[in-house]
Amino acid sequence: MTQCEDSSMQAFLAALRSVFPGERLLCGRENTSPFECDALPVYCQEPLAVALAHSEHDVVAAVRLCHEFGVPLVSRGAGTGLSAGAKPLAQGLLLVTAPMNRILDLDPHAMTARVQPGVINQQISTAAAPHGLYYAPDPSSQIACSIGGNVAENAGGVHCLKYGVTVQNVLSARVVSAAAGHVGEVLTLGGDCLSQPGYDLLALVHGSEGGLGVITEVTVKLTPLPEKTHTLMADFDSVRTAADAVSAIVRAGVIPAALEMMDKLAISATEAFCHAGYNLEAAAILLIDLDGHPLEVDAELAVVEQVLSASGAVQVQLATDTLQRARWWKGRKSAFPAIGRLSPDYYCIDGTVPRHRIGEVLEATARFADQYRLRVANVFHAGDGNLHPIIMFDGSEPDALERTEKLAADILEYCISVGGTITGEHGVGIEKINQMAVQFTDAELEQFRAIKRALDPFQLLNPDKQIPTLARCQEYRALRHARG
Amino acid sequence: MDEIINPSKDQDYSERLAAQVRECYSANMGLEAAEIPRPHLVVGGNGSRVALGLPGDATLAIGAHRGVIDYQPEELTLRARAGTPLSELEALLIEHNQSFAAEIPQPCATSTLGGAIASGWDGPSRAFGMALRDSLLGCRLINGRGEIVNFGGQVMKNVAGYDLARLQVGALGTLGAILDVTLRLQPRTEHMASVSFEVPRDELGRWWRRTRELRPLLTGTCYLDGRLHLRISGRAVAVQDLITQLGGDTADFDWASLANLQLPFFCGERLACVHLPRYAQIPVRAGQALIEWEGARVWVRDGDHHALAREAADLGGFVQVLRGPVISVQADAPEWHRALRDALDPQGLFNPVLFRSRFYSSADPSGRLGQGVGH
Repeated sequence: MTQCEDSSMQAFLAALRSVFPGERLLCGRENTSPFECDALPVYCQEPLAVALAHSEHDVVAAVRLCHEFGVPLVSRGAGTGLSAGAKPLAQGLLLVTAPMNRILDLDPHAMTARVQPGVINQQISTAAAPHGLYYAPDPSSQIACSIGGNVAENAGGVHCLKYGVTVQNVLSARVVSAAAGHVGEVLTLGGDCLSQPGYDLLALVHGSEGGLGVITEVTVKLTPLPEKTHTLMADFDSVRTAADAVSAIVRAGVIPAALEMMDKLAISATEAFCHAGYNLEAAAILLIDLDGHPLEVDAELAVVEQVLSASGAVQVQLATDTLQRARWWKGRKSAFPAIGRLSPDYYCIDGTVPRHRIGEVLEATARFADQYRLRVANVFHAGDGNLHPIIMFDGSEPDALERTEKLAADILEYCISVGGTITGEHGVGIEKINQMAVQFTDAELEQFRAIKRALDPFQLLNPDKQIPTLARCQEYRALRHARG
Repeated sequence: MDEIINPSKDQDYSERLAAQVRECYSANMGLEAAEIPRPHLVVGGNGSRVALGLPGDATLAIGAHRGVIDYQPEELTLRARAGTPLSELEALLIEHNQSFAAEIPQPCATSTLGGAIASGWDGPSRAFGMALRDSLLGCRLINGRGEIVNFGGQVMKNVAGYDLARLQVGALGTLGAILDVTLRLQPRTEHMASVSFEVPRDELGRWWRRTRELRPLLTGTCYLDGRLHLRISGRAVAVQDLITQLGGDTADFDWASLANLQLPFFCGERLACVHLPRYAQIPVRAGQALIEWEGARVWVRDGDHHALAREAADLGGFVQVLRGPVISVQADAPEWHRALRDALDPQGLFNPVLFRSRFYSSADPSGRLGQGVGH
């Protein structure tokens, strides 16, 4: 604990140590290295110190001390984020809320669960299952990601098409404020009623990437487990026909619980990784969940099967039992680690586009990838139009990361050009900060900055992420202009 | 201002409205901080939601700024100008066998889309389906500097930047003048049926336990005059099956009039809406209450608003008054309300009276009213 060299920070660290004794305050690279990055490990930074919070009291104390000593604070949960939003700052404190991992209350009658921010997403559903309930948003990282991070990023998942993203499934949150004159106060945003007086501050905190407050408790809405689920897998011989089938399903008046797509590279990677039972000959597959009332689900199954064959599916299979269904979904959810085995490094993007532009964007992505001599696998939430091109690269090659970043920028900017957004569920963090200058005007970005200044006037919470400075915007726009 | 405003024709008045805001902004620039009254703007539409808190006579009138900007049925999204009447949009959606994803009340035929967002009022399906705030994908607005800014988008998911679109829902126009709105749509429900039961008041609690089992087909509950009405919607085959299982009386119930607050029940001299945590019960006289949302929204006619407010607060709820003695409710985090208002509208141009009465009570200049628990 004595390796912290920066003498000007000794008083700060001493004060922190009185709140975070022993191994709950980590300094020095050998101790902090597990916390140097989130799940986008190309962006790493050793922090001044890492503090492990065990209670709301710890979080309040950390925020107050950071304010007192003028040290910026980055909060993080399980560190499964994909936009470097939880990357530490060299002269900042990394506050980890993962140890706050208790389910405080589960009310099956009111269908709510009150949990600490470090509770793992899937643990809520596990705890709710005996009551016939579950927590609907299910990011692919649901076995590892924490609910505090889910709120901070407004996380999505494969079943968000029908059940909504995090903000639709949270009733209230306790948040530590950094507002002038109120630093370290705990606010309750939202509440047990379905409507609240005042502004929708709970919605504002969702997706604010730890920049407007630190979350210390979340009350989530639970959903009754569907009575019946059908899972379909459809194989296609081209990416374009699979993409067009996605629009056709929606046009037919069906909103599936999940509607996912994988391309050939993603299929082969996953099949090799966990033998999900995918057709290796297919150029693309769609995985579809239909759930709800048994009679409704049966009626929708007939509609979707018919639409799929009319849309040119080569083969349509219906999962015969829960085991097969679980296997198909396990493949989808393991796509990232599966691709990770094929490539030393990978980089996942998150652009979201109108559904009818998916095919076009995938074709453009393939063209851009060729230009930069990189391989891209696609596995994504097709029903939401939320693409996840995964760029495979070898970071040990001298210019590989640079080419990857340029390819990612081109894909995101193409998404903007077809009426989409640079991020559907992963957040901006550091990774997409330049593209904010493309998606938004100066007035819009200045409005974001004004919101940040209003609630975090001392720039204490996760500063310099998510919203680019004016100078950075001008620099990036000039660079783009020069590139033509 | 040489162009004549034709309120029945699709028109884009964005620039004119923004110029009016900039003019007001400039007029405020030269004034001393303490000088009152200051020039301000009353942002409003066609005045059909006065009971819900929106202004009647607007000086920044959005009603003529109307028309559909983009509607792509297969995208399940609709973008339209704020002054467009909801009734027109609904008619358009029906042509394509679609509906809004949230149930949006329309107090009258001229009620606008922008007013729906500004009032943030939800219909009977809120407890079972999508809230209005969650069906909003994006909105373009004029901020307090007279700049036109766009937040959110036209895609299903979007987390780029802060969610300043959702923040407009229920803000009563105090955080900007909404110019256009993108909403999420859904395929039109294939079949809807009502069923009702004679239920004594003290057995309602037991019914709310039972209604959980009726999801996802249950899309509305209304308890009125000793009868519990249930709305069942979905695929025809499933709805009919459930109705048969339930038994009860299959007489029609006017859910639209409930949503639009047009049932005779809502005609009292005093009308209050009590929001409660799910399954809480508030004591009210028989015949005086209409209960929705499995008990989470209770309408009280000709009640004692102050007594109601105390009882609701004890149960963790609050009261919103539509007619009669006003109860002011200060939300948690008043300092956040004031700071956000300053960030979006630094001169306080938009609906300043509403801001003070509904969002931030200036009676306590320290801004420390009702704040959360400190440590």
